[in-house]
Amino acid sequence: MMNKKKYAAMSAAVLLASVSLAGCGSSNDNASNNASTNAANNGSTNATNDGGTNAGSTNAGTNAGTNAGTTDTPKLTGDFEVQYFVGGYGDKWWTKVIADFQAANPDLHVKALGGPKINEQNKPRWIGGNPPDFVYIDGPELNDRQMVEDGQLEDLTDWIKDAKNVDGDKILDMLAQQPQQFDGKIYNIPLVLNSWGIFWNKALFKEKGWQEPQDFQQFLDVSDKIKAAGTTPFIHTGKYPYYINGAFLYPAIVSANNGDYTVLQDMAANKVEAFESEAVKTALGKIVTLRDKGFIDKASIQINHTDSQMLFLQNKDAFIPNGLWLPNEMSKDIPQGFDFGFIPSITQDAGQKIVANTSTATVAIAKNAKNKDAAHAFLQFVFSKAQASQWAELSGAPSNIKGDISASNAPSFVKDAAKYLTDPNTIVIPTITFNADVDKAMQDATDALTIGKIDPAGWVKRVTDVVKKVAK
Amino acid sequence: MEAGSAKWQRNLFIASFIIPTFAFFCIFTIYPVAKGLYYSMFDWSGMSQTKSFIGLDNFKEMFKDPIVWRAIGNDYFLVVGKIIGIMVIATFFAVALTRFNFKMAGFFRSIFFIPNVISVVVIGVLWNFIYNPQIGFLNAFLSLFTDEKVTITWLGFTNHTIWMLLPPAIWAGIGFYMILLIAAIQNIPASYYEAAELEGATQWRQFRSITVPLIWEQMKVSILNIMMTTLNGSFVIVWIMTEGGPDNSTQVMGSYLYQMAFRQYHFGFGAAIGVLILMLSLITTVVLQRLLRHETVELS
Repeated sequence: MMNKKKYAAMSAAVLLASVSLAGCGSSNDNASNNASTNAANNGSTNATNDGGTNAGSTNAGTNAGTNAGTTDTPKLTGDFEVQYFVGGYGDKWWTKVIADFQAANPDLHVKALGGPKINEQNKPRWIGGNPPDFVYIDGPELNDRQMVEDGQLEDLTDWIKDAKNVDGDKILDMLAQQPQQFDGKIYNIPLVLNSWGIFWNKALFKEKGWQEPQDFQQFLDVSDKIKAAGTTPFIHTGKYPYYINGAFLYPAIVSANNGDYTVLQDMAANKVEAFESEAVKTALGKIVTLRDKGFIDKASIQINHTDSQMLFLQNKDAFIPNGLWLPNEMSKDIPQGFDFGFIPSITQDAGQKIVANTSTATVAIAKNAKNKDAAHAFLQFVFSKAQASQWAELSGAPSNIKGDISASNAPSFVKDAAKYLTDPNTIVIPTITFNADVDKAMQDATDALTIGKIDPAGWVKRVTDVVKKVAK
Repeated sequence: MEAGSAKWQRNLFIASFIIPTFAFFCIFTIYPVAKGLYYSMFDWSGMSQTKSFIGLDNFKEMFKDPIVWRAIGNDYFLVVGKIIGIMVIATFFAVALTRFNFKMAGFFRSIFFIPNVISVVVIGVLWNFIYNPQIGFLNAFLSLFTDEKVTITWLGFTNHTIWMLLPPAIWAGIGFYMILLIAAIQNIPASYYEAAELEGATQWRQFRSITVPLIWEQMKVSILNIMMTTLNGSFVIVWIMTEGGPDNSTQVMGSYLYQMAFRQYHFGFGAAIGVLILMLSLITTVVLQRLLRHETVELS
């Protein structure tokens, strides 16, 4: 108890000091930030990637500079451990940001615990009550909802309310996508802003004279043409049905609910009525339409995501539900002349807004962290414009900080996608994590629905049975 | 005095072998099994610091779960299918390669053994390609005989997909048991066959009355081994090829254990499935041994 109070007092002191001092440095930082991004923009047309990394490092330099000033008074000391999973986004950004943070806090001993298997490797430490201080929640065996239920994450509700980053900007105001709430409380903050959606090959569509669809009716019409021309309109990965759920079904549910995404949040909160709503039935009906019209590639049910993506890249199928990481993931296999077309959702009626179902990875502080001061300071460090722009460059995915994307050296499809995600005419669904049992039930049921084993009522019945059991 | 010391030395000698082995056995077998039993009585996510004791609730839950029953069914389907498939083919190959002297025997022996050298993971991926409806070998082969391109989704029929996992599992298993049986057959004195030949026994008669009874011990070991490795290890091929899908149709106990413990965060439930696997393996071993022993007595 004593310790807790001491920590709280100390962290408050550190915060106050760092916020005020960061404020001093912020104008300087912003200026150089702008300068560097300008340089990056100008350079990006004719310069190679090296230009980008250089621009990135200037940012880092200024950051380190401003922070060196901050740490004059209450220095962060001791050990500070960061756990980060290395997956599709790589670890370039993590090594960079950790090095920057270390440079800014020379008395702190920052330990990076990263790798593709880190979630499994560190599990005994979480179970034993000796977790790393800071965790990036991504990859297998880490699930934010489960971690909250397990009491492993620090409650950030009060802290985040008016927390400011190292530049003195209020963190919550900078987030493109607000943190998910678990029973009204905030435990983790989205770092990545990615989106599910439907892809096609613009070049192929142009060649064949097919219209790029903007709503569900257009999608059906063009699919008829595509099918008549001998191409299968739609492929997905039946082995991982969360692709079709995330990119097709959930946006369809929101569209059918007049653009109100609270229905998905109610589903995540295990409210049975939400699953039984008309919106869900209408959305499922759209999958049935695809199925009955023979638009879904029969191979879908048994193949994994890579196989489905390969068939799509070979123009064997016209549309694929996927995430914005697709071009990056398949970069080695993209044929010459292939031009990605993307829309976050295809299930809206004409005139309805587009719905973007986001996919994110979040960061959090361990409840049993030993160096919470450093962890909070790291959060403030990470959620800065400079780091966000580095994230987009080094990981090839949009960051969750508003407005960084057009200024960064991020790949062009990421910028295109960002247009959708920041467009006022797009409904952006904030991150939602379903209960793992319910999620699995929905995936299995969707698979069964696509091959005609069950009907929408059967889907609802199956899933609500699980929901009732989980909610008990 | 001297005798006592010699005895003591002998005991020490034996102990120096037994004790480390026993210690390893305890650490790596007894302890995990005991721990698994212990966890199976808790409601635990696998990551939280706290777990709550719920007695046998996980087991009650387990027997109410239709997927568990399907997994048990699939496991025994694979056991039966593999025992029949592997034993018939391995015995056939073993006899063919030993009893009918032909030149290429050594070559074929190596060829048939190759799948055993390949990792099951590679086998799974390989067969996934064979079964691929668009670019797979099987459909391409069948398409040679039809006018239209064959596009059967081999792993997509929810009712029969488990059948499709049998060929790779059998294919992967034949080599080892073939070698085992070849060794057994080569141990049979040639004079038995010569005598039988003089008496006018056909090849089939020789196989039934000499080969089978004399390699029965090895066949029994093979059958038991196939059963045990299938109940404990069918997980790998299932996980690589289908992950238990589509719609849980190819779930086996091992894959469902993994799914529940590490994907759906019910570690206690997963541990309970582990206990189930252990129990069923023990029971099946005892039952099979009984059945097969009966057979031996009759034959000898």
